[in-house]
Amino acid sequence: MPLNIDPQQILLHWMNLAILIGGLYLLLYKPVKQFMEKREAHYKDLDAQAAEKLAQAEQFKAQCQAKLDGADEEIRQARAKAQQTAQQAAQEQLDQAEAQAQHILAKARTEAEQSRERALRESQREMRELAAKAAKKLAAQPGADLFDRFLDLTEGGGQHEGR
Amino acid sequence: MKQHKKALWIWLLAVLLLLIASLLVGTSGRTESVQEAMRDAVLHSVNQIGLFGLRAVNPGTISAFTVTAILLLAAACIRIFAIPRFQYVPGKLQLLLEEAVGLFDGMAKSNSPHRNRFLGLYLFSVGSYVFVGTLFELLGIQAITVHGHPVTLPAPLSDVNAAIALGTLSYLVILSGGVASNGLGGVGKTLKEFSLPISMSFRLFGALLSGLLVTELVYYFVALSFVLPVVVGVMFTLLHALIQTYVLTMLTALYYGEVSEQSHEPRKKHKKELPQAENA
Repeated sequence: MPLNIDPQQILLHWMNLAILIGGLYLLLYKPVKQFMEKREAHYKDLDAQAAEKLAQAEQFKAQCQAKLDGADEEIRQARAKAQQTAQQAAQEQLDQAEAQAQHILAKARTEAEQSRERALRESQREMRELAAKAAKKLAAQPGADLFDRFLDLTEGGGQHEGR
Repeated sequence: MKQHKKALWIWLLAVLLLLIASLLVGTSGRTESVQEAMRDAVLHSVNQIGLFGLRAVNPGTISAFTVTAILLLAAACIRIFAIPRFQYVPGKLQLLLEEAVGLFDGMAKSNSPHRNRFLGLYLFSVGSYVFVGTLFELLGIQAITVHGHPVTLPAPLSDVNAAIALGTLSYLVILSGGVASNGLGGVGKTLKEFSLPISMSFRLFGALLSGLLVTELVYYFVALSFVLPVVVGVMFTLLHALIQTYVLTMLTALYYGEVSEQSHEPRKKHKKELPQAENA
């Protein structure tokens, strides 16, 4: 054949290539590729695990956030309740102080009234005593109109008392 | 410093001695002209090697088996000693292996999203074969022809039979992808690209052969065998290995992806990328 083309040698080359392809597949290509796939699977697995952990962390964070929000609400309610209690206590103290003040005022008024009445009684008693004294003096002086002298005495006695 | 100077003098002396020895020994005389050497490098009609005493084959066929043996031996060593010690944080060798597998696997997945398991394996195997096979010629392994002459084993794909085998096998793989995905429609799609096996085969053959011919020409003259082969032999071969590996695997992946694409789905921009890969 032209160019020394030899079908038998072409077939020998085919056989050689078939041996090479099969041998390289078994000895090199398949094991290396398997290892690469195994490593890829390993890293994919790690990636999936990391993603799962991230999702769990996100979920936990959401739960914590919800709890935190609940705690805020509880704190707000407790604060409102405490404020209400404090206001009630202050109001009660205020009411008590008011009642006490009223009581003290009433007592003071009563005492003032009693003092006034006592002073009035005292002054009336003194007036009666003065009147009795004056009557006794008049009765003791002879010759004078008893009634006029009583009046003069009471007027003069008043001046005398005033001096 | 004294140690370094001493080592430098020893090295220079060794080089000088070897040069004198090579000039004194001389050559056994040329058995073929440059025309014959070039012709034989292309056709391999004279310098054939016995295959286990069964029949005479081209040196490229022996190279192909040797490259396969080297690759499988290296793979077995890696399988036994390196792969069981793989870590999730890779070392240098592990990184290199994972990069190689990932590169061809990614190429298969990006070009053929629907069906790519076998394509990834095929690209990995063929890519390794083309790359190592092209670099194989740097080793300069000698073999004895059926006529008793020593011959340096060339890159496997510089043999037209190896290039045709690889091109047609790639075409069959593409065809199998089309059939598996679209049935008879896939066959039609693949057969539409009837020039593909020829273009794939002869692109490989031409690219590898040109490198071989330049190297053969350089080595034919003793005067050019100093320093120059470092550039011609190593750098060109390295470039060749990378480019041919990329071109063959990329073209196979593109066509495989195109024919295995489901008919009801919108077509992708493979056609736009094809001319760029073709030009490479």
